[in-house]
Amino acid sequence: MKKYLRIHDILENTQKIDLQLTLVAGSEGLDKAITAIEINRPGLTLAGFFDYFAYDRIQIFGLGETAYIKTLSRERREEIYHKFFSYDIVSCVYTHNEYPDEIFIDFAKKYKVPTFVTRYPTTRFISLLTHIVEAAFAESVTIHGTLVDVFGIGILLIGKSGVGKSETALELIERGHRLIADDLVEVKKIDESLLMGNGSELIRHHMEIRGIGILNVRDIFGIRSVRNRKRIELVAELQEWDANTHYDRLGIEEQLYTILDLEVPYIIVPVRPGRNIPIIIETAALNQRLKKIGIFSAQELDKKIQEWIVRENEDYEREKGEN
Amino acid sequence: MKEKKVKIKSDAGVHARPASILVREAMKFPCDIYLIKGQMEANGKSIMSVLGLAITKGSFLTIRADGEMEEEAVNRLSALIENDFAELASK
Repeated sequence: MKKYLRIHDILENTQKIDLQLTLVAGSEGLDKAITAIEINRPGLTLAGFFDYFAYDRIQIFGLGETAYIKTLSRERREEIYHKFFSYDIVSCVYTHNEYPDEIFIDFAKKYKVPTFVTRYPTTRFISLLTHIVEAAFAESVTIHGTLVDVFGIGILLIGKSGVGKSETALELIERGHRLIADDLVEVKKIDESLLMGNGSELIRHHMEIRGIGILNVRDIFGIRSVRNRKRIELVAELQEWDANTHYDRLGIEEQLYTILDLEVPYIIVPVRPGRNIPIIIETAALNQRLKKIGIFSAQELDKKIQEWIVRENEDYEREKGEN
Repeated sequence: MKEKKVKIKSDAGVHARPASILVREAMKFPCDIYLIKGQMEANGKSIMSVLGLAITKGSFLTIRADGEMEEEAVNRLSALIENDFAELASK
């Protein structure tokens, strides 16, 4: 599916970033779709060089562009703008609170090109805009699961309906951890390297607990019990305990779970009465933090045992030699 | 796997009560049921998941069922939506 973004979506972006934009012309064009992630500085174009003109990107007029335009005669400006607007321009933004001249505004109105002024300097504006546009174009998938932040590790709890994901999350919240989303987690791939999870804005921080109904976690447990998004660093699948299934007893080899072609550490947690799942999840989070700084409990213990065996063997050989 | 696309006609969209009716019906079927709106895919057996789709009047919703009784499930749920939850809401 081809992705696109409307100018509207940039103004009302999900990250709640205020780009400090004032619309000066072309309000009819706000529904226009942006299909390019990149932006364009039209300096060369304004100087009359229209080869390789990236007209389908947002055009950013910085101090250089506005200063250059001021050196041009009225006739020359009209000529350049005429050619500039003959392309299907998506949108124009003037930075540093510099306003476009009247001729430009007239053209923008005529061709319905949304034109804005921002008080941000160019570099700052471009970095904010890129952040918004990249997030909007990022690959995403919805996953049935519950996302919690346990000791700073984003853990995605997955498993069949009724296995106790929400109940586990509830107890984790009670123990001071945070809920990001219950049941419906939207996962986005950021910078091709990390997975960011968030919930649907409409039902944010609500959960359904069978027997009670719908709860507002933020109201009940307070603001410290929730957060809006979190990087997913561990996937924990809750599974009904099955005597015939082989569960990992060592944890020497790290299992991985693939989301949007990225691999995340993965554990299977068997569930049965008497097993305190929240404590297991907490411990898994702590273990994950150790692994992040390079300490692998299972491997360290195995190494210790192997070294001990080597020493014992040497002792045995020596004693045999002496006798 | 069975699928059917329906259009939401109710002015109120799918708020808490219709969602609970939808989920209650979905729970009666053994198969996996998904409701898909745009790029979002919700678990048809979870209230929060269905509410999270923010289904409004005029939205198109795809009902997807996979497994035992999938055909019955899709027919039942699409009929429910097309009849505006009338038969169940009145009970």
